[in-house]
Amino acid sequence: MISYHFPVFILMLLLGFAVVIPLHRKPFGKSFVVKMFSVLGLAFILAFAELLVVIYGEAYSYTFGSYQGGIGIEFLVDEFSALMTLVVITLSILILAYSVKDLEHEIASSKMYSYYTLVFLMLFSIIGMIFTNDIFNLYVFVEALSITSVAIIAIKNKKDTLMASMKYLLMGAIGSVTVLMGFALIYMVTGHLNMSLIFAEINEVWEQYPINILLAMGFILTGFGIKAAIFPLHNWLPDAHSSAPTPSSALLSGLVVKAYVFSIAKMMYRVIGQEITINIGISDYILVFAVLSMVMGSLFALSQTDIKRRLAYSSVAQIGYIFLGLGLGTELGLSAALFHVISHAFMKSALFLSAGSIIYYTGNRNVRKMDGIGYKMPITMAVFTIGVLGMIGIPGTSGFMSKWYLGLAVLDGGHPELLIVILLSSFLNALYYLPVVVSAFLRETPLEMHRSSLPQSMKISMAVVGLGSVVIGFYPSMIMNIIEAAVSTFIGI
Amino acid sequence: MNLNIDLIVNNINYIGAMILFVIGLYTVLTHPNLIKKVIGLNIMETAIFLFFVSIGYVQGAVAPIVNPETGEQMFVNPLPSAMILTGIVVAISITAFALSLIVKIHAAYGTIELDEIMKIRSVELDD
Repeated sequence: MISYHFPVFILMLLLGFAVVIPLHRKPFGKSFVVKMFSVLGLAFILAFAELLVVIYGEAYSYTFGSYQGGIGIEFLVDEFSALMTLVVITLSILILAYSVKDLEHEIASSKMYSYYTLVFLMLFSIIGMIFTNDIFNLYVFVEALSITSVAIIAIKNKKDTLMASMKYLLMGAIGSVTVLMGFALIYMVTGHLNMSLIFAEINEVWEQYPINILLAMGFILTGFGIKAAIFPLHNWLPDAHSSAPTPSSALLSGLVVKAYVFSIAKMMYRVIGQEITINIGISDYILVFAVLSMVMGSLFALSQTDIKRRLAYSSVAQIGYIFLGLGLGTELGLSAALFHVISHAFMKSALFLSAGSIIYYTGNRNVRKMDGIGYKMPITMAVFTIGVLGMIGIPGTSGFMSKWYLGLAVLDGGHPELLIVILLSSFLNALYYLPVVVSAFLRETPLEMHRSSLPQSMKISMAVVGLGSVVIGFYPSMIMNIIEAAVSTFIGI
Repeated sequence: MNLNIDLIVNNINYIGAMILFVIGLYTVLTHPNLIKKVIGLNIMETAIFLFFVSIGYVQGAVAPIVNPETGEQMFVNPLPSAMILTGIVVAISITAFALSLIVKIHAAYGTIELDEIMKIRSVELDD
């Protein structure tokens, strides 16, 4: 069965191409772009085929080198990891299609090959993190991801970008070191590195080591919390995401943060298990920080005038929604959180890409100077508006569906007061997003443009991302069915 | 007061690792000099390596090399040491990347003291 090897084929394809890119000698041009997209296209086909295999067959675990019984590194290929891989590859195709033109004015032309090398290594580590079923392997992928994701910011080589990436690197390194400490504590109790074996082991002995497990989970959640930018640990995110080149911002907000969030979900529900998570009280702490994140992220966003900073702070709030779902500790909560992982990936990429186009076209980053921009660039502002409506939660967008599922999960989990927080946060979202849209369409002032036109490739990729968000909004069940199938195996391994 | 001296002596590795971890974290968070921040990070990483290797240690056991002549023997757990080799490689790459960023920051700002960089940036913002 060749389909058994699909996850490794995807990883090898991305890693192999990343190694080959620096060997190119010719100046950056069309032939390379064609090559790059054929590789990504192949990866897309593999990911899609794998999703079909998992849906119509069943979830399976892949062992490297056939070392059975927890000796070798293991990949667990279930419905959600296959779906997430497909989403990662789809979005990266669209973002990279956008990046080819946009990067010309953001980074030096001699750095183009380095940029794509880093992006491919980054995709490799994200997909590795999604599939892996081994905690030390997870740590190695986390470190690879943290280095590459800092590097795609620092490649811009401007003064403020350098400081932002330094901050991100230090915070990220503290985060991954903390995570490793947690893994060491878990290894101490169980003597296993394989997630399924840890789950089996820890559920027998956890009553004897409650402090050890609480400490381990504290380290792990703090570490991943830094990298996923939950409220008190978020201070690197606005600098890093706003000063990065636009395609990097979209990749970081849409995909990188989600990989860490998914790792947290794995640690909570697959490694430790739902029962222990609730019994030692982790979920209550998470709920507190999620609520703080949702409210404070939006409040910070209100005071920003730089459009990309505003989007970055809004990411902090949206990560809070995902944590809210995770912290409920129920199946519905987990499905809502995983749904929002995908829906936010589409919405935030659409917002960052359209904001990037505005900056590309007008050279202006200030949200107060966007009057009448909707007439000059209708497609861009339409995509931006779709993103905004999704963030607020207007029916017909994916954002509405994730709020709907979250609301149901909150009621089901016995926390009706959290519904008020969700509504309050939506209201705050409307408060800082809508004025931009309103002034773009309803006010008219002569604008001076920085460039004469927007490249077609940027317009098309942006429009497709926006369309994706709407399609998820109208047909949420195609994603939710997969997630629900995954969640039942996720919790009850 | 017999506050189990034995307990402390037997777990001295773990206690030492935790103290080192906190010292490293304190250095990273409070020191304004970027190079010293990186050193603090390295101290944190070393603390974890110590912790991890201590997990695999067994009193009176030998390295896991099977020698048929000596018969039954206790071996230390080699897996943590093997993982720490990977950990060291990762730590080195993070350090190298951080140092190269610091070189670029020094070229851009002329200093690696964080408080002076903040001053330069606030002056630039006012202009």
